[in-house]
Amino acid sequence: MSGEVLLGLPLAILAGGAVVAYLIARLARAGGSALAVFTALVLVLALVPLAAIRAGPAPRSGWALLSVGSVLLLGDPGALIVGSIALGLGSIVALYSGRYIADDDRAKLYYPLLVLLVAGLLGMVVAGDMFSLYLFCELMSISAYALVAFRREEGMAIEAGFKYLIVGSLGTALLLFGISFIYRAGGSLLLVSAPADLAGRTWARVGIACVLVGLGVKGALVPLHTWLPDAHGRAPSSVSAMLSGIVVQSAFYALLKTGIALGFRATDVGLLLIGLSLLNMTVGNLMALAQTDVKRLLAYSTVAQVGYVMFGVGIGLRYAAPDAIQAAFYLLLAHAAMKGLAFMCAGAHPGAATVASWRGTAQQLPLVAAAFAVSLGGLAGVPPLAGFVGKWLILIRSLRQADLLAVLATLAFLANGLLSLGYYLPLIGSTFLRSTEPAIETRVRPSAWIGLPLVGLGGLVLAIGIHPAPWLEWMSDVASALLAWGH
Amino acid sequence: MQAIALSAVVAAPLIAVAALALLRGWARRHAAWIAGLAALLSLASVFALLPALEGGATPALQFPWIPVAGIGFRLRLDWLALPFVVTEAGVTLVAVLYSWGYHHVDARTPAYYALLMLFAAGMAGTTLADDMFLFYIFWELMLIASCILIALWGEGEQRGAVALKYFLFTHLGSLMVLAALVLLYGRTGSDSLSALRSGVSLAPAVANVVGVLFVVGFSVKMAVFPVHLWLPDAHTVAPMSVTIMLAAAMLSMGTYGILRFPFSAFTVAQIAPFGLPMMIAGLVSGIYGALMSLAEQDVKRIIAYSSVSQMGYVLFGLGTLTHEGVAGATLHVIYHAIVKALLFMCVGLVIRAAGRRHIHELGGLGRAMPLAAACTGVGALAVAGTPPLALFDSEWMIFAGGFQSGYLWLGVGMVLASLLTVAYALWFWGRVFIGASSEARELGTVSMFIVVPTVALACLALIEGLFPAPVFDWAQHGLSLILGGTW
Repeated sequence: MSGEVLLGLPLAILAGGAVVAYLIARLARAGGSALAVFTALVLVLALVPLAAIRAGPAPRSGWALLSVGSVLLLGDPGALIVGSIALGLGSIVALYSGRYIADDDRAKLYYPLLVLLVAGLLGMVVAGDMFSLYLFCELMSISAYALVAFRREEGMAIEAGFKYLIVGSLGTALLLFGISFIYRAGGSLLLVSAPADLAGRTWARVGIACVLVGLGVKGALVPLHTWLPDAHGRAPSSVSAMLSGIVVQSAFYALLKTGIALGFRATDVGLLLIGLSLLNMTVGNLMALAQTDVKRLLAYSTVAQVGYVMFGVGIGLRYAAPDAIQAAFYLLLAHAAMKGLAFMCAGAHPGAATVASWRGTAQQLPLVAAAFAVSLGGLAGVPPLAGFVGKWLILIRSLRQADLLAVLATLAFLANGLLSLGYYLPLIGSTFLRSTEPAIETRVRPSAWIGLPLVGLGGLVLAIGIHPAPWLEWMSDVASALLAWGH
Repeated sequence: MQAIALSAVVAAPLIAVAALALLRGWARRHAAWIAGLAALLSLASVFALLPALEGGATPALQFPWIPVAGIGFRLRLDWLALPFVVTEAGVTLVAVLYSWGYHHVDARTPAYYALLMLFAAGMAGTTLADDMFLFYIFWELMLIASCILIALWGEGEQRGAVALKYFLFTHLGSLMVLAALVLLYGRTGSDSLSALRSGVSLAPAVANVVGVLFVVGFSVKMAVFPVHLWLPDAHTVAPMSVTIMLAAAMLSMGTYGILRFPFSAFTVAQIAPFGLPMMIAGLVSGIYGALMSLAEQDVKRIIAYSSVSQMGYVLFGLGTLTHEGVAGATLHVIYHAIVKALLFMCVGLVIRAAGRRHIHELGGLGRAMPLAAACTGVGALAVAGTPPLALFDSEWMIFAGGFQSGYLWLGVGMVLASLLTVAYALWFWGRVFIGASSEARELGTVSMFIVVPTVALACLALIEGLFPAPVFDWAQHGLSLILGGTW
């Protein structure tokens, strides 16, 4: 099959999968766990064509392009990678939900929403024109709003979902605004054939500013991140794993892709990203330090970690350093695995909401404690885990720049790494300290549905960290694609 | 053959970790045997490589690991590393034997030995790593393993807080080392230490920054004043065998770092500005540690502060930048390991026998435990620098270096500071073993696993004092590898 068809196939599979999942949920008497397995299979099936494109020889010469009506899909390497990560994480989350969501009423409606979330996400990153970008962004957002408020009987779920809805709608509205301005300036919505001088036109600049703010809301760029701690902190943990692990990053990638494709200079985009990334990591880390609620803490840590990825990409674009971009995408993958794992662990220990209440977990739930320690250690950048390798690779590239901006930014990056230890370590520590209080009663039943995803994802985090070479190799052409685009 | 022996130094403890973590039943009952065997194998492997070293070869092995960034899995044993790796492996063996006799066996014992072995693997890897990335990974591994040991097996309710303090302090030092490593990598473009050995040309400003980061960062691990603050608490709270490893083996890693990085990569001219500050810091640390030892009440803290003082001697010796001073510092590290392990083992016996650790509540134990009194006496006299015990030789050389360095008054100061060392060492011994008898508990039979290593170390302190030539020869060889080898 040619690359073009392969590019459309995942979206078709996901759309079909969502419908079938909904039908199974409504009509069949199949249990929630069967549905979870079905959903995971759909997501893995959708992953196959993407892997085939990456493996095939086609994308080396030009990216897979698919045009259906007015929708244009563009499978550039970065998009394929972000999409694959989303599908992979999604399938693990689906399996995990088999037990985690089972006791909820309306549990079966959860799976179609999950598939739609991933479909929207994938569509957003492979969109080749701004109209479909907007469309898929909305699809992703609406599924996300519903999933955040999925446990509506829980205290703050509706409020968090509603806040996300209001802020997110503002974002998508601005995105639509921005797209219309860009259309006014360039007369085309395509991301592949923007006029050379488009970036210089006033309306295009106004438009990209609106797109920046609009997608910035989705990507949790500080100060547009205010919805994130509530949404990620209140959502069911399986949903938080998706939102924190890949949804935010995909919005960032869509933003990056749009900016570069419209012809904005890579050095300018890089400078902007470095500035924004410093803001993101500093605010994210400082706010995380102040949290006592574990999931809110993890949510703020996502704000900071998005900053690390942006920093790497920013350094790469600013100084034409492909290896920094490669490292940033490696960190993006690592973060998806680590943060997904962290939220799943939080979900596997529902009795413990605060940092203090994690005491005694090592005795009660040793597997959860071990997986949690691996994920947090990775996030904190403890060697030899994945977070450390990613940061090391970004650091060695950014320090090679003699210019003052790079040096100062790198120092801020290092200082942030230290700052983040201030909240990861106490959390790891309290996980392994003996509890002073009697064991919490609401102990989750040990279940393979929860245990296997934890073990699998934990193993992945270790594998990514200890043997980074193949993963880095996978990302080798992202940077050259982005840099070539930007010139 | 060399490659096998070389990898066995690191791999033996790691295999023990895996065995202790995975095996059930049989391994639970024989955890100490597995750990002891691994420690013995590690030490034997080092000695197996000695003939090759003496034959002029440098055993090394390497595998590609992250080719993108030029990172490889490289191990290498040269003369500079040899004294430190012997110290580390020897201390590990002694510590395992000691804990065999000292600690009660319970369900957590396999985990305890597994972490001890992880700690040992971290130190062995630190000394053998021939790649900056690998070095840092092992460097942090040693911190993580020891930190968990303190947090979980420490004495008293404060252990969590103490472990956190230990981690934050030494990690701050590690980050300075990391920054320096990454800076060096950025300038040389190579991750292998062989690039450093062939000399690095750095702009003077950068060289100074790298030098400061290295010296201060490694000084934190050496625990010299004023970056020693983590040491007294960590050493006091840690279980005795961990304290032995911390004080006798891990402190020496800081010295190794200084010799391996700034002293190997830089020329004498580049390192010269650091000489005086290092000598002053060493002098202050020597005096301060001795005074604190005199002031402390807890017997374990007294010996802990004595490490601060002794590491001051080492830093002073390094700072002289003379042949005698640096050779003396290297010797001092080895001899200090012997003596400090001996003293902590004796203190452990005293605490076990008397059931208390406040020095004013102890006294007259010499009658009840003559052998312990004799061994402690050897240790105390050695710390005081009495001939013909081991530390006398190294202190002699450090003083000689001080007098040659051109800062005569600092040398005189250091000699006078050693008077304070004599004061606390003898006061400590007298307080505990002679004078009014405190009501000693019934002394049970002390395990041979405690008696044999204690007596052996006491004998070793004497033997090394009388025949320092072989070990001195090692240090001598190592000196030819640093500061351009021109003395």
